[in-house]
Amino acid sequence: MKALTLKLKTDLAQRVDCSPLTPDKLAGKDVADIAAIELVSGRLTLPVEELFDISGDDVNDIRFENSSAKLDHIGHAMSQGRITIEGDAGAYLGQFMTGGNIEITGNTFIYTGCEMKGGQIKINGNAGDFVGAARSGYKNGMTGGIIIVTGNTGARTGDHMRRGMILIEGNAGEYCGSRMISGTIAVLGDVGKHLGYAMKRGTILLPKMPQHGITANFNDCGSHTLAFLPLMFASFKKLDSKFANVEGFSRVQRYAGDVGGIGMGEILVKI
Amino acid sequence: MIINGVSIDKTFAEAFPMKGTRIIITAQNLEWAMHSATAFTGFATSVIACGCEASIERTLEPSETPDGRPGVACLIFAMGGKGLAKQVETRAGQCVLTSPTSALFSGIEGEDGKEIALGKNLRFFGDGYQISKMIDGKRYWRIPVMDGEFLTQENTGVVSSVGGGNFLILAESQPQALAACEAAVKAMKQLPNIIMPFPGGVVRSGSKVGSKYKALNASTNDAFCPTLKGQTKSECSPEVESVMEIVIDGLSKEDIDKAMRVGIQAACDLGAENGIRRISAGNYGGKLGPFHFHLQEIMA
Repeated sequence: MKALTLKLKTDLAQRVDCSPLTPDKLAGKDVADIAAIELVSGRLTLPVEELFDISGDDVNDIRFENSSAKLDHIGHAMSQGRITIEGDAGAYLGQFMTGGNIEITGNTFIYTGCEMKGGQIKINGNAGDFVGAARSGYKNGMTGGIIIVTGNTGARTGDHMRRGMILIEGNAGEYCGSRMISGTIAVLGDVGKHLGYAMKRGTILLPKMPQHGITANFNDCGSHTLAFLPLMFASFKKLDSKFANVEGFSRVQRYAGDVGGIGMGEILVKI
Repeated sequence: MIINGVSIDKTFAEAFPMKGTRIIITAQNLEWAMHSATAFTGFATSVIACGCEASIERTLEPSETPDGRPGVACLIFAMGGKGLAKQVETRAGQCVLTSPTSALFSGIEGEDGKEIALGKNLRFFGDGYQISKMIDGKRYWRIPVMDGEFLTQENTGVVSSVGGGNFLILAESQPQALAACEAAVKAMKQLPNIIMPFPGGVVRSGSKVGSKYKALNASTNDAFCPTLKGQTKSECSPEVESVMEIVIDGLSKEDIDKAMRVGIQAACDLGAENGIRRISAGNYGGKLGPFHFHLQEIMA
């Protein structure tokens, strides 16, 4: 069986909701069934065949080619299988996903991995604002799984994040880890202002002091050797990421905050 | 059957089902891991009064432990999962959490995924400052303590195991019996998945089922007490002056089979010329347990 390939035919005038195109929802469907699936685009519904050239038949291995930043909700609530995206993706990539893998060669728009529960998303580019975050008005962001970003992320990375891991090889924008409840964010590059704003619990791991420093809402708890860090770095080794090659460290400066709230979050900076 | 002049009795050792787990204690160096492991496995010779049977399985190189520090693997067994959970929790709390630089990990996958708490409830010692971390699908707890942080895995696996495998060494003198036991224990300690939970791996007070006193379920094994040769239906021939027992708990019947073979062989290697006369076993007529280890079959 060959991967089910959906090649976008033209530039899109309107955004398209691709949530019906996941391994779970396409299970048991043949190419004709898939071609007839109606996708919401603006005020219209369009059949898949009008937007995409379709080839292949393995619905557990879906490829989007010539993809656009207007394709939203790719991998919505998927629980297994694989989605590969050549090009960019729109908002809500991997929202609610519980398992499986998504990999993209380009950039993603906002809310990547929004409220995801499991699985892995790898972005070989930049991600927009609210990576792994909760939807507006909701209290829990991602609760499991891993998001790897080889480039940079926008603002509010991990907003309301409750569990899981966000690994950023580049830089993270402003308000990284804002309102974070638990989980881990690691950033190899720099981070923007207001790091850990209103953070409740969770860990932000940095190999160097950020350019803007640590805000006054985090108290210095001193330098420590933390036993869990070697385990965490060992778990990175199996990832297809720069994190696999990062030289592990366990010696860190620990900052606890945001003391404007319960102050149980931590920023760990390598020393 | 005679091996190197040592007679192997046509009998079998009886053993019973237990629940077991392996835990790994690491520390800054092996000395401190061993301090913690020794305390963790203390007062754990027999389920009769200790609630569990536990001992150190082996030491671990840094490359073998989850956190890359020197460590010690311990096996602990109890009659049921609940009893095991209670023993693991109280011992971990008093003997590992308290031990400087220690960290505590599970060393075994549970049968059908069955697990018991390891550090799950110890986290409350953190008084709200404890931190959970999910790493590779396993939950760990970071508990702030005065020397830094105590890291513990949340759960450990539980497996069906076998307790009470045993054999008796009958010798012409006490020193000779002990020398044979020491040789056997030394050889058996090279094997994985088993422990000999008694002091030094050796028991001198083997028991029989029942007693003349109604309150007791077990009492001295008078048939193998050399000083009673003239007073009871003795198993000791005139030249036997001392009998010692080695009790083995293991993760499977096969592990105990192998350990008994290695241990009996080591004792027999000393041979009749060193005063070793017979190898027998704790046979209770099938009353003690469903696992039977036939000595002659094991040594065949």
